[in-house]
Amino acid sequence: MNKGDRPLSRWHRYLTKEIGIEFKACLYFYVILFFYSVYRIIRGTWDASIIHMAEMILTTYSMGYLQVYLFSNFDEAEHLGKKEIGYSIVCSILYTAVSILCKWFERDALVTGYYFCYMVFAYICAFWVYKIKRDIDTRKLNEELKAFKERGKKHESCD
Amino acid sequence: MKITVDRILEGEDEVILRYREMTQEVERILKVLRADEKRLIGRQGKEQVVLNAKKVLYLESVDEVTFAYTKNGVYRIDYTLAEAEARFGMEGFFRCSKSMVINIWKVASLKSMSCNRIDATMENGEHVIISRTYAAEFRRILKGGRTDE
Repeated sequence: MNKGDRPLSRWHRYLTKEIGIEFKACLYFYVILFFYSVYRIIRGTWDASIIHMAEMILTTYSMGYLQVYLFSNFDEAEHLGKKEIGYSIVCSILYTAVSILCKWFERDALVTGYYFCYMVFAYICAFWVYKIKRDIDTRKLNEELKAFKERGKKHESCD
Repeated sequence: MKITVDRILEGEDEVILRYREMTQEVERILKVLRADEKRLIGRQGKEQVVLNAKKVLYLESVDEVTFAYTKNGVYRIDYTLAEAEARFGMEGFFRCSKSMVINIWKVASLKSMSCNRIDATMENGEHVIISRTYAAEFRRILKGGRTDE
């Protein structure tokens, strides 16, 4: 068996999961950073706190672990059901709690409220993006299956 | 054509075909020899059936017993999943999870799932999941990249 054909080892499986978490951390960090930047600009401040950004990265990374290991990777689920919406709300509450604790929005109640809704919306968007990605992949897989079968038929007729 | 038959007392049975040119006769003999490679013996109760590997949809291992699923029924076979994949790999048998081997030719459609898994709908409408561990190799095979062929 060729090296590339071997099934994934435990190490590779762990690594794949870890990369997935890193990817999630980056995705949600940019989501939060966008809201934070807009908030700062509206307040007339054109700079961002490095401490706040470090806190955001740490939070999104921890939330990535929570999502993957405890919440069944809900944003990549097949269907958006009650469980997935429930997990989105729980995670958004946790993000909101951290934002209050770390004073990302100076504990402004209205902005914090908007931020909570924005996070729920971001989770739903992430779910749809993953779903669209899978739909495109499904189409590609079926095209490849069709091509594979046609190649096989040609090969058989040559024999 | 000269035919030599040797009886051996030890070792594996073997057929060696020596030829100078691939003539129609040699091809015909090869076809007969290889035909057996595509068959497997299935058991259904006390009844024994010769199954054409091309007709098998998938194999499943349950409590270390391997079953072959065709459109017409389920048969117990003597091969382990690893043995079946090695023997019938050329017929499209592919290990898709710890307990299953599918026949790629009998896959009707595919669906991409979360965590890099693939849902394969077989010709009889049953769904078989290609686990994340084997999905990458499956995609490579579909692209025509099987290296042991």
